[in-house]
Amino acid sequence: MLGAWQMLMRSPLPAPLDDPNAYYASVTLHGTAMAYVVTTFFAMGFGYAVAATSLGRPIRGAPAAWIGFAICLIGTLMAVAAVLSGRASVLYTFYPPLLGSAWYYCGAFLLVGGSMIWVVLMIINMAAWKRDNPGKPVPLAMFAITATALLWAWAASGVELEMIGVILPQVFGLTIEMDAGLARMLFSVTLHAIVYFWLMPAYIAFYTLVPQAAGGRLYSDTMGRVTFIMFLLFSVPVGIHHLFADPEIGIGFKFAQSFLTFLVALPTLLTVFSICASLEIAGRHRGGRGLLGWIPALPWNEPLILAVGLSLIMLGLGGGGGLINMAYGMNSMIHNTAWIPAHFHLIFGGAVVIMYFAIAYEMWPRITSKPLRSKRLARWQLWLWFIGMMVMTIPWHITGLMGQPRRVAIFDFSDPLLAPMVPLAILSVVGGFFLLLSAILFITVLVRSQFGDAVLQAPLRYALAVNPPVRVPKALNGFALWNAILLMFMMVEYGYPIGQFFALKSSVPVYEMTRQSTSAGVR
Amino acid sequence: MMASDLSPVRHNYNWSRIGWMSFAVIVLSSAFIGFVFLSRYQANSETLGVWAAICRGLGISADTAAAASPQPPVRTPTDLAWTQATLEQIRAGDPQRGSFVALNCTACHEGSAANPSHLIPTLDGMEAEVIFKQLADYRSGKRSWGVMNAIAKAISAQDSADVAAHFAGRKGQLQVNLGLRIPEGGRAFRQTDVGARLVFAGDPQRGIAPCSSCHGPGGYRIGAPTLSGQHTAYIERQVAAFAQGIRHNDIYEQMRAIARQLTPEEISAVAAFYGSQRRELAASN
Repeated sequence: MLGAWQMLMRSPLPAPLDDPNAYYASVTLHGTAMAYVVTTFFAMGFGYAVAATSLGRPIRGAPAAWIGFAICLIGTLMAVAAVLSGRASVLYTFYPPLLGSAWYYCGAFLLVGGSMIWVVLMIINMAAWKRDNPGKPVPLAMFAITATALLWAWAASGVELEMIGVILPQVFGLTIEMDAGLARMLFSVTLHAIVYFWLMPAYIAFYTLVPQAAGGRLYSDTMGRVTFIMFLLFSVPVGIHHLFADPEIGIGFKFAQSFLTFLVALPTLLTVFSICASLEIAGRHRGGRGLLGWIPALPWNEPLILAVGLSLIMLGLGGGGGLINMAYGMNSMIHNTAWIPAHFHLIFGGAVVIMYFAIAYEMWPRITSKPLRSKRLARWQLWLWFIGMMVMTIPWHITGLMGQPRRVAIFDFSDPLLAPMVPLAILSVVGGFFLLLSAILFITVLVRSQFGDAVLQAPLRYALAVNPPVRVPKALNGFALWNAILLMFMMVEYGYPIGQFFALKSSVPVYEMTRQSTSAGVR
Repeated sequence: MMASDLSPVRHNYNWSRIGWMSFAVIVLSSAFIGFVFLSRYQANSETLGVWAAICRGLGISADTAAAASPQPPVRTPTDLAWTQATLEQIRAGDPQRGSFVALNCTACHEGSAANPSHLIPTLDGMEAEVIFKQLADYRSGKRSWGVMNAIAKAISAQDSADVAAHFAGRKGQLQVNLGLRIPEGGRAFRQTDVGARLVFAGDPQRGIAPCSSCHGPGGYRIGAPTLSGQHTAYIERQVAAFAQGIRHNDIYEQMRAIARQLTPEEISAVAAFYGSQRRELAASN
C-alpha cells in the first residue's frame, strides 16, 4: 500500500497525504519491509521447510530456530516503530552520513543478527545429515538452501560491520563524525549479495519444484549444484559496481568488480537453459511434438508453471537492464536515475516475488492441509501481478532514461523538461495499483483456502534428475573448497578498498534525521 | 537420452584445481585489464605509464603537481568548516565564562533602547554553532556589519565559544528548533499566505527550497539559525543583503541563490511570518 501511495505521490496526480517527510518515511518503511523483513522471514521459513522435507526428517535445533524467529520479530518491531515515528527516514540502505534513530539501527541489526541463527541451523542440519549418510549426495534442494544460508552470512557481514564499526558508535555518541565512504564500502558487500539472497528461493523452486509440477524431471543435478556454487562465489565480491560514482575508490577496483559481476550472468544463463530443458522434457513427455509443440503441452493451469513462465520473461528483461547497470561505462547513463528502482522492482518485485507467491501456493496447503479453493483465482492473481509489474516498471525505466532522478518526492511536471514524462508517470501509477490489487488477491486466496475443509495433502516432492546422482564428488557435496575460494576473492577484491579508509581520513559530520517531523498536509 | 548426465555420472574432474585455476585466471585477467590497461587511458589527458596507471587504478593520484593553467584566485565564503575539531571547540564552550564576555554584547543585542528598529538580532536561544560561525566570519572579514568586525577581532575563538554557549543556553523570544512540528496543511503549495507557503513548501518551480527545511520549524541544519521569533526587520535586511551580494558568508551560496529569486514583497512576507512566531516570554528568564 505504501508503494502504491509513493507512486501516486511522485506522479502528477493528486495524492492524499502530500508531504515529503511522510514520503521519505514511507520509502524507508517500504524498503525495510520488502528488503529485510519479508525476504528474511520468507527465506527462514522456506529454508526450514526445505530442510525438513528434502532430508525427510525433523529439523535439528527447533528451539534455537524459535529464538532466532523471536529476535528477528523484536528487531522488526523496533525498526518499524522508529520509522513510523518519523525519526529514521534514512531509507533502507541507511545513506550515511544521514543519521536516524538508534532504535532503527538496533532493530535492523537484531533482524539481520537473528537470521544468523537460521544460517547456523542450515549448516548444522546439512552436516548432521552428511554424517548420518556417509557417501550419499546431499539432496539438491538442501544443498541449494545451505548455499543460500552461506551466501547470506557472507552478505550480511558487510552491513553488520558497518553498523558495529561506523553507525552504532555514532548513534551512541562515541564519535562526532562519520566515515560515509567506509560505511558505503562496507554496505556494498551486502548490497548486491542480498539481492541474490532474495533470488535464491526462486531459483531453488526452479530447480527442485518446477520440473516436478510440470510432470517431468530435472535436466541435470550437477548443473544445479554448479549453479548454486557459482552464485555463492560471484554475488559477494562484486558490490563496488553500486559505487561507480563514489570518489574514494580507484577505477581499477571498479573495473575488476564490474568484470566479476558479468560472471554472475553465467549461473543465470545456466539456470534458464536447465529449466527450459527440464520443461521441454516434461512437455514432450506430455505429448508435445515438433520444435515448439512442447510449450503448449505444459500444464499452464498449475500456478507454479504459470509463475515460472511469467518470471522468466521478467528475469530476461530485468537481467538485460542489470547488464547495463553493472557495466562500468553504461552505468553513468542511468546512475541515480529512476531506471534503478524500476530495475530492482522488475527483477525482485517481479521475477522473484511472483515465485514467492507460487511457492506459497505450493507449500501453504501442504503445511495447513487446506487445499487451494480456487487455482483460477491464483492464476488471476499471478497474471495481475505480472501485468501490473510490466505496466509499472517499463514506463519507469523510460523516465529514468529521460533523466528523472530517484529518491525525489516532488516533481514539477509543468517544467518543459519534465512534461513529456507525465503520461509515463501516470501509467506507472496504474501499474502500481494493479500490484496492490494483486497483493490483496493473494491474501484473499490464502485466507479463503484457510476456511475450507482440511484434506490430506500429498507430501511435497522434489524433482528427480533425469539421471539421479548416485555418488557426487566431495567438492559438489559441500562448501569447504568454495568458502576458501570466496575468502580469497574477498581479500583480493575488498582488502585494499576497505583498508585504504584507515589512511584516507574521509569522515564528515552527520546529518541528523531524528528531528524531522511529518505533518498531515493536505493538498 | 540426454547425453551429459549418463549414470553413473562421470565426476572424475579435479574440482579443487578447477576452482583455484578459475580464481587465478579471473583475478589476474580482471586486474590486468583494470589496472594496467584501462587505467592508462584518460579522456582529456595524455596516456599514463604502467606505474602511474596502477596507482590511478588504486585511487592514488600520481599527479600531485599544480595544474599548468593559471587558476583564478579562490574566494571562500567563510574560513570555518564543520570539522570535528570545530564542533568540539564549540561544545566545550563555558557559559559561565561566556556570561562575562556577553557584557560586550548586551548593550545592543538586548537593550531595546539601542535597538529600536530591531535591525539587530536577538541572540537568546540561538544555536551555539551559528553564533560561533558568525563571530569567526566577522573576525576574518568574511562578513562585515558596523561595529561587529571590531568587536569580533577583540575577542578570541575561546571567548566566542563561551559566549555562544552562554546565549544558546538562555531562553528568549526565539523558538528553539527541537521538536517543533509543521502545522496542519503546512506543506501545501496552494495556501494563500505567501510567507507560510515559502517557509513550509518553498517554490520548486524557481528552485527555492522551503526555509523551514534548514531554519525550522521542523527542519534543522548545522549553521543555519532558528528564525522563529527573530526580529522581522533584521530578517528582511539580511535576506536583502544576501540578494544584493553585500552579505556573502554562506557556504555554497545557497542563501544568495535563494534570496536573489525572491521579490521584495516575498522577503517581507517571509520575515513577517518568522517574526510572528515568537515564543511567549511569560514564564521564562
